[in-house]
Order: sequence, then C-alpha cells, then structure tokens
Amino acid sequence: MSHPARWIAIAVAVVVVGVGVVLATQVGSDPRADTTTSQLVGDAAPELALRDLDGNPVDSTSLAGKTVIVNFWNTWCVPCREELPALQSFAARHHEDPDVAIVGIVRDDTLRTVRDHVKAEGINWTIAMDPGSRAALAFGTRGQPETFAISPDGIVAGAQIGPANEDSLEKMLAAARRQAG
Amino acid sequence: MVRRVLPWAALGVVVLVVLVWAAWPDGGRATPRERARDLATELRCPDCEGLSVADSSTSSARAIRADLRRRLAAGETEEEVRRAYVDRYGESILLKPEGTGIGVLVWGLPVVVLVVGAGGLALALARWRREPRLHATAADEDLVDETRRSDQV
Amino acid sequence: MKASLGVFALALGASFAALGIVTLARGIRRSDDSLLRLGRRFVFGVLAAGILAVLVMEWGLLSHDFSLQYVAENNARGTPLLFTITGLWAALEGSILLWLLVLGGFLAFAAHKFRARATDPLVAWATLVGLVIALFFFALVLGPANPFKTLAVVPSDGNGPNPLLQNHPLMAFHPPMLYLGYVGFTIPFMFAIAALITGRFGEGWLTDTRRATLVAWGFLSVGVLLGAWWSYEVLGWGGYWAWDPVENASLLPWLTATAFIHSVIVQERRGMLRVWNLSLIIATFCLTILGTFLTRSGIINSVHSFTESGIGPWLLTFLGLVAATGIGLIAWRGDALRAPGRLDSPVSRESAFLVNNLLFAGLAFVVLLGTVYPLLAEALQGRRLSVGEPYFERMTTPIGIALLFLMAVAPALPWRVTKGEVLRRRLLIPAWIGGLTMVVALGLGARGLTDLLVFGLASFAFAAIVRQFYVGARARRTAYKEGWVRATARTVRSNPRLYGGLIVHVGVILIAIALAASSSYSTKEEVRLAKGESVTVDGYRLTYLGNTVTVSDQKRVVKARVRIERGGDDLGVYAPAVNIFPNSTSAIGTPSVRTGLLRDVYLTLISSPVEGGRVTLGVAVNPMVVWLWIGGGFLAVGTTIALLPVLRRRRPEAPAETPEAVEPDPVPA
Repeated sequence: MSHPARWIAIAVAVVVVGVGVVLATQVGSDPRADTTTSQLVGDAAPELALRDLDGNPVDSTSLAGKTVIVNFWNTWCVPCREELPALQSFAARHHEDPDVAIVGIVRDDTLRTVRDHVKAEGINWTIAMDPGSRAALAFGTRGQPETFAISPDGIVAGAQIGPANEDSLEKMLAAARRQAG
Repeated sequence: MVRRVLPWAALGVVVLVVLVWAAWPDGGRATPRERARDLATELRCPDCEGLSVADSSTSSARAIRADLRRRLAAGETEEEVRRAYVDRYGESILLKPEGTGIGVLVWGLPVVVLVVGAGGLALALARWRREPRLHATAADEDLVDETRRSDQV
Repeated sequence: MKASLGVFALALGASFAALGIVTLARGIRRSDDSLLRLGRRFVFGVLAAGILAVLVMEWGLLSHDFSLQYVAENNARGTPLLFTITGLWAALEGSILLWLLVLGGFLAFAAHKFRARATDPLVAWATLVGLVIALFFFALVLGPANPFKTLAVVPSDGNGPNPLLQNHPLMAFHPPMLYLGYVGFTIPFMFAIAALITGRFGEGWLTDTRRATLVAWGFLSVGVLLGAWWSYEVLGWGGYWAWDPVENASLLPWLTATAFIHSVIVQERRGMLRVWNLSLIIATFCLTILGTFLTRSGIINSVHSFTESGIGPWLLTFLGLVAATGIGLIAWRGDALRAPGRLDSPVSRESAFLVNNLLFAGLAFVVLLGTVYPLLAEALQGRRLSVGEPYFERMTTPIGIALLFLMAVAPALPWRVTKGEVLRRRLLIPAWIGGLTMVVALGLGARGLTDLLVFGLASFAFAAIVRQFYVGARARRTAYKEGWVRATARTVRSNPRLYGGLIVHVGVILIAIALAASSSYSTKEEVRLAKGESVTVDGYRLTYLGNTVTVSDQKRVVKARVRIERGGDDLGVYAPAVNIFPNSTSAIGTPSVRTGLLRDVYLTLISSPVEGGRVTLGVAVNPMVVWLWIGGGFLAVGTTIALLPVLRRRRPEAPAETPEAVEPDPVPA
C-alpha cells in the first residue's frame, strides 16, 4: 500500500491548482473597479433636506419634477477642482432649461471658505451645505467628487464616482430624462 | 488517587468559578452607544483600505458612527442597520462575511480542517502506539536470555 | 549611462546564474567534481552582480538622476538623504533588486559554509535550485519589472516617494528585515528539494540548515513586529494590526515556519515526520512567493498597494511551478519517506509538538482562507466581499488560547512518556499561579472570557518557564558551587536551544498579554478644544496649547501641541501632526504617543486648527501596548541565544553525587 503521503499530496495539488486558477482569473481585474458603480442606480433617491449658502431650504419638494444633477464636492479636494470647468460649461449650456437643476453639496468644509470659493469661481448653481455628512451618507458616497443624476420622478438614473466630464454629465442627464419616460 | 487529583480539581473549580462569574450577565442591555461601537467594528469605512468604521477617523467614518448611534437609538435592530448599509454600499461594506451561500465555506472550512486534522492526529498516535514495526523473533529472545545469564550482576 | 550599467549588471547576474545551473547540472550528471567545484563559484558572481545593480540604483537615487524612471517616480530633490537611500525599496522594481541582493548574500553564505562538501550531490543540487530561483528574479527585473527604464523627457524634479514612505526612519528597517526573513527561507527550501531529488532525506539536510531557518525566522518575526510598530506609531489609525492582506501575507510564512521549527525537533529525535517537515518548508517558501504576489500584483486592495504592475502572472506561474515541483517530488518519493519511528505515548513532548503543528497549520489555514476568500467569492459568484478583523479575531482567538496552554504545558512534558507525578511536580504550582492571576484579573475588573483565559494561561506559562530556569540554575549551584547569575548563564549555555526557545516563549507570552489587554480595554474619544482648554479622558488631563507650522523642502507640517497630565503630574507636551507633501493631494497624519509601561496615550490630529483656533483631536488610551515591542525584544534575544553553540560541560567538583544528565533535558527536580 502506498504511503498516504502520495494521496494527500495529490489532494493538496488539486486544491492548490484550483485556488491558483481562481487567482489567475482575477489577475486582470482591478479591485478598485467596485468603486466606479454605485448601488443607488435604479433606486429611489434619498430625501434631501439641506440649506443653501444663504440659508434657504434645498429639499426634495423644491426640486420636485425637475431632472436634478447632484454633485458632492468640497473646496479642498483636488479632483473636484479638476472637474469644475466641466460642471461650469454644463451649467452654462443648460442655464435656460427650466426642468434641469444642478445642486452642489458640500461636506467637511466651512461656510466662509465655500462662500469665498463660489464667489471666486463664479459658480452659479445651487450650493448646499451638508453638516454631519448626512446627505453624503444617504447617497452612499465613498469620497468626493461624486455625481448623481435624478429623474423627475425621483429615481437615481446615473452615478459617477470620481471627477465628471462634460460627456459623462450629458449621458447622465439623458439617462435621467429617459427614466421618466 | 484522590489525593493526587485533589489540587488539580480544586484549581479547576477556581477557574470555572472565575469564568462563570465573568460571563454572568450583569443585567441591563448594552447602551445604544456601546451597541453602535460594536456595530462600527463590523462595517468597513467606505473610503479607507479595509479599516473598520470604528477605527477610521475620516469624515465618512465619523458620519457613519453618528448615523449608527441615531439609528440604534431610534429603535432599529443591528440586522436592519446592516441591511440598510448593504443596500447603500454593497456587500463589501460588511467586514464579517455573511454565513449564507459561499459564506458557509469561510466560516465552516477552518473548523472542518481542524476537526479532521485532530482526528487524523489521534488516529496516527493510536496507530503508532499499537503497532511496533518490528517484532522480536525467537532468535532475538534467545540472544537476550543468553546475555542475561552471562551477566552476573 | 547608469541605465546601461544597471541592465548590464542584471544581465551579468542572470548569465552567471544560468551558467552555474548548466555547469552544476552537467557536473551532477557526470559526477564530475571539477565541474561541481566550478559551478558553485558562479554563486559569488551572482552576488557580485546583485551588489553592482544595487550600487548603480543607489547612485542614481543619490544623484537625483531623473532620467531613470524609477528615480523620477520615487525620489525628488527635496527628499532627505535617508529616504533617498531607502528609495531603493520604495516601489516594486527596486524591491526586487533588494530581494536579489539578499538572495545573493544567502546563496554565497551557503556556498561558503558548505565549501568542504562542494562535491556532494546534495549540496550541488541545493546550489542549483538556489540559482534557479535567482535566475527567476533576474528574469523579473530584466522583463516586466525593470528598474532601469529611462525617460525620453527628463523631468526637472521627481515625484518623491509616496508620503507614507518618507515619514519615519523606520522605513530603513522594516522592509529589509522582512526580506532577510523571506529570502532566508530559500536556504532550507533548496536543501529540502535537493534532499528529495537525491533521495537522502535523513537528518542531514535538517541539521545543515537548522541555523539558517532559525535566523530567517528571527528576522521575519522582527520584520513583522516592526511593521506593527510602524502601523501604530507612524500610520496613525490607532492600531497595530489591521488584518490587511499584505500583513497577512507576511504572517503566513511565519506561521508555517514556526510550526517547522518545532516539528524539526521531533524529526531530529525520533526520525519521524519527514514528509510533514518537507511539506512545511516547501509551503513556507511558496507562501513567501504568494505573499509577494498578493502584495505586488494589484490583485488586492491594501494600504501596501503602492504600485501595480504586470508581474502578477509571472509570480503566479513561478509559484505554480514551485508548488508543482514540491508536491510532485513528495508524491514521487512517497513510499521511501516512511519513517520507522513510533510514539510511546499520546502525552509526551513529541505529541505536544504534533498538536502545536496542528494548531499552527490551522492558524495558517484561517489566515490564508480569509485573505483569499474575497477573490474566491468574486471569481465563483461575482460577489464583492470584505473579510476583516471581526472574522479573523473570532477564528484565531480560540487557536491562540490553545497554543498558550500548550506553551505552558509542553516544555514540562518529558520525552517519550509522562508520569502523572512528574507533571504535578513541574506544573502544579505554575498552574495555580495562573488560576490566581485570573482571580486577581477578575477582581481588577476584567470581564471578558478570552481576556481572563489569556491572562491566566500567560502567567501559567511564565511561571512554568521561570521554574525551569530556576531548577536548572539551582542544580548547577549545588554541583559547581556557583553564584545564581553564573549558574543561570552556564545553564543557558549548556542547552542554548532549549533556553533560548524558552526566552522566545516569554516574548510570545508578553505579546499575548499585550494583545488581550489593548484590544479589550482601550478607550477612544474625539475631543474638540480651543486654545488653553482642557479635557479629561480616562484619568489623563489634556490641554491644548496651540499649533505650530513648519515648512521644509520635503513637506509642510502642522502640529497641535498638547500637554498631558495625570494625577497632578505633568507628563510632557506631545504634538500630533498633519504632514502635507507638495506632490500629493492627501495629507498624512502623524500621531503622537506617550508610551507608558501600563498605558499609552495616543493623540491624533483630526482637523487642522481653523475656525477660531479650535482643534479636533483623537485621544485613545491603550493599555500595555509597549509590551508588544518588549516581547519582540525577547524574541530577538531568545533567537540569538538559541543560535549559540553549546558550552562544553565542565567536570563537576563532586562527581559521585551529581547526576550526569545525558539527555539535553532540564535536570529533573
């Protein structure tokens, strides 16, 4: 009778080969890829209950019926500065559109710094403060910048983690409009 | 025999008493703050590399800790809170893999391996004890007797 | 010019390795002694090539030669000297140069040590295997991980190393220590393969490589603990072990190597467990390669994932070949490996070592499974999962407690067979000390079952070890009329393996206590303070004194100065900081830790002082953390002692009365 070592060695070999094949198939994939898709797409958008820089309410009722682009950012995040020109040209293009609203939500920043930044950069869309990051949590953000597109009937139609560009913004807007039919 | 066992038995009693005393529920459920902290150790901080919400000091982590306290104080159960976070962030937000589906493997396999290993070890020990590989032959026995006889001690 | 010189050095090394392989192979085939003697000389050529390549890279770093891509990515003009030098191992390509240097060193050491047996086929095969491994790593740096790539456009300044890697001088020690450990295991591995190939797997190769294994284990232990120290004192998230995949990768070979160190003793004494030991050492080596693969292939998210590259498939293939060779050889030799030994009793030191191995294998399996599981789940079910601290704690704690118990009991178990009386004499009092410790701990407020067991078993084990030293020294005092200190020293020198091992166990005990205490009894809070304001956390009064800003070429540092007081005593001013580097978007926090024998006060700066000068500080009070590092010191000391040669026994003054113990056992009391 052969030494049990032989059979154990074969069993171990099978397991090792199995695990090796699994690892090999994963070599090409990027583990950070899961951060480019949001779980929120297709679900109802969380309720917003914030205030803008002048203290006026920014909430789901005031935005009802509009296609909303929600952009999470703050003044000290470098990629947010990179995407600002794209947001500005997007805002300029849809300035006359009554059913498109852009809301920038700021977390972890101070009112004064944000006000100065908005004035300096000429940001002309609604900016809301998110004390305690509650809105960011509700949207399941993992950092900034993150952008979401919400259809007029309140469904999240598109999401982008990382800096947006004009192309992605237009695509999200189109998806949100399609969503509502 | 009893005399020899007594000091060990007494020690066993002492240890048992200590353990039971420590484990005795001291009345009063854990506060929401404590429950939130325990739950925070089970959730991964979304913008860190594998740190738990309890350990991380990023703003997301602090916001989530506050949210956990709020939810638990409002009466949600731990399971409901976990569900809500999985809905929002995906399964990878949980640091403790669920025991369903393939999760059975990660919790069960180590136990199986240890049990099988221990069993194998016990078997091997028993086998090694019971079967000496060599048996004394008649010629060997004679040689021993011869030596004994000639050794006048 | 440097690039060409560097590549030349690497090509030279690869050629030497290849030539050595061919020469040795022919020499073995033809039993040609002169070829064998020639073949081993190529090892020194490999070392020389490795040294040259490293020197060229350091030259490039020190001269800030940004025409080299590696230097441009990992160095800047403002980088301090120390971090310029350590830039060699700041990223993947340079790390492999370091690996090659260390490998060359170990191979040369082995070639020198066995020079008298250069014509022995076992040694020849071992050298050949070592050169094959070296050739693989040369292929890596000549292929996908080339550190001497040049840039067409030379930037005026480099990126500088990753901020995390230039924050603390420990960067100079942690990676090299780890590599000394990892690469050190190549030596027992290559001898194991040689033994399998030549069919000579008696005790020869074990004793030949025993010291190398112990040295590698020592370095790996220190390297892992340095990593934990770095995590705690430098990274600033508040803990020392995150069960990060790369941390686990360094732990896995340590676990199998620890099992091997123990079961090797059974093989030396009883000739058994040959297959198991061969498997353990092959597994250890495979795990060092797997660890490199997990760290460097970009397959897993980790704080260590600084670079991703295309070496993943190469490493995986190499790992597959190594594993296949090892398993294949064992399967081929299976029958001949059966050993004639037997165990006399299930309660003996031999069986305790077997249980030790079972538990360490179980630990290794748990850590491996937890680390690889997210990859498995994704490949098989497409689910993205995390496995973190709660899983690892839950699974490893019971095994750890069982190991603590074993550590207390096993050194007291005699070889072969145990009589109850012996156990009583050796263990009863230490066991009671353990039990009473549990009572005291309970009285002091400890309530966790795990903690109580750990404290009790730790003091049980410690008392048993102290007893063993005492008994040995006392016997020498009686026999040789020596003082306590001399008697203890001589006792240790008479059996350095045993007593060095016991000191290592003391280190492990201290670490176990520190782990239990700091994970269960830490307090953690965030406080917001204005200048001059105080707060009290866990008996410590903290006063925020104000902040300072320092700017240098390398970075901008914002510090918050905090005075710590306790019970009226001023314990000093500590300053957690935030470092901002010019080429990086994120700021790196540096904690400030007041280390105490019983408690650490751990301060972090969470928000920069803005807005009316208020600052948010993280405050944690962590008990017993310093004992982790002290335990590490014991590990290092114990390993060094275990490597000492045995002191020859002096003739006793009263030969008629003294027991002449032949077995290297502690003299029975």
